[in-house]
Amino acid sequence: MTAPEREYVVGRAEDLPPGSRKLVPIGKFGVGVFNVGGSFYAITNYCPHEGAPLCLGTLSGTTAPQPGQEEDVQWIKEGEVLRCPWHRWEFDIPTGRSLSKPEKRTRTYEVRVVDGEVRVLL
Amino acid sequence: MSRAPVVDVAVHPYFARPADIKEFIPAAYRNRAIPGIEKEWYWAPGGEFAPGLQEGEKHPGSDPSVVAEHLFAGGGTEWAILNPLTRGRIADRHVGSAICTAYNQWLAEVWLDHPDAGGRWFGSIHVEPTDPKEAVREIERWAPDRRFRQVSVPMQVNDPFGKPQFHEIWAAAAQHGLPVAAFIDTGTASTELPPTGTGYPLTYVQYASLVPLTYFFHLASLITEGVFEEFPKLVFVFSDGGADMLTPLMWRLDTFYRALREHTPWAPEPPSTYLREHVRIVPSRMEGPERPETAPEWFEMTGKSDLMMFGSHYPRWMLATPDEIAEGMTHEQARKVLGGNATALYGLERTVPTGSGEKQTRSAR
Repeated sequence: MTAPEREYVVGRAEDLPPGSRKLVPIGKFGVGVFNVGGSFYAITNYCPHEGAPLCLGTLSGTTAPQPGQEEDVQWIKEGEVLRCPWHRWEFDIPTGRSLSKPEKRTRTYEVRVVDGEVRVLL
Repeated sequence: MSRAPVVDVAVHPYFARPADIKEFIPAAYRNRAIPGIEKEWYWAPGGEFAPGLQEGEKHPGSDPSVVAEHLFAGGGTEWAILNPLTRGRIADRHVGSAICTAYNQWLAEVWLDHPDAGGRWFGSIHVEPTDPKEAVREIERWAPDRRFRQVSVPMQVNDPFGKPQFHEIWAAAAQHGLPVAAFIDTGTASTELPPTGTGYPLTYVQYASLVPLTYFFHLASLITEGVFEEFPKLVFVFSDGGADMLTPLMWRLDTFYRALREHTPWAPEPPSTYLREHVRIVPSRMEGPERPETAPEWFEMTGKSDLMMFGSHYPRWMLATPDEIAEGMTHEQARKVLGGNATALYGLERTVPTGSGEKQTRSAR
């Protein structure tokens, strides 16, 4: 039987503007709450590769091929890609999926904004 | 032995006398000096060629009847792929291409229809990779002739094979469904290249044991620069050993890829995922697991039993037999490595007599 979800208030929405993050000490490893372009996402602070504190990594975008174009590389997902501080694996924040090894993912949690409060369901 | 047909994918024919190549050199280049076909240094201590293969004054591997007898008389080998080597160093790529043209013409005229081989050997379209336009012309010239089943290039080239100047060559090969085989060999414009990344090794043991490392610089370049994404049908055959280096080097490449994936968006998959569709390796008899009982596991690492193909390197000193290469393999591994992988890659078909004395063709896959 799984434990019932609990809602944690992690802060006020206006204190987490787009591009910012907040690490909160909940769950086994802590949870990172990210505002990506106005949408809130939460992921475990644990890299499925070797257990690094993933949410301390660098926030950026990534490249994708653009065959046949003059610029054959495009920059995508700006602000949505988190790079692990230990081995630089890329993670897509909205899905928690690793771009470097797609069969690996980090756990994601639902985030709600209620009356200006950012709440994580754990 | 009741195993599937053996295919020998590395047989090196030679001119009986080096000067004989002149007869096949295009007229415009016939007055040029053509370098000798032997390596200039790093000679094998016991001689470059396996003992007992020379016919009088003629070069080993130069008489089609003798080669056919050596390859096929024992009954083990069903098919062979011929690939002449161009060991000499030369700076002029036009002359390099003329030498390739001569080799291809010579194979077509003298070897590929030789009655003693009975259609059991096929040729390689040898091209000079530093002369891409002429290389493409040479591929277009011979590819419709199904007696040729692959394109071949020297391993020792002045740039890694993934770079854009080579792409038109790979495009032409892929378009005709021809694998590209790279042998430890020198072409033009590699005149100043030492055989290692750190210069000239002192001894033959250093040279012979580690020179296949160069394959992996080409392999990393082909994968990460997206050549296999651009040409989904392209297959590269690394024809002179190095299978035992594959696993650790692919582990490294995959690991660094995971950290630096964004640098190579043209190759979105982990590097090792490209091997099965795009890479084959011809092991040498000097490499492999030390103890035969570890062989079955060893040949599955990095999927090697699907990647490796037997090649004897006749008549060179490192001449390998099927039994040496298959030592310790399971029956299924030996079936794939000694012939199954090659019959699939080269589209080889066996003609077997039927009860009525007629012949019918069946697929050997």
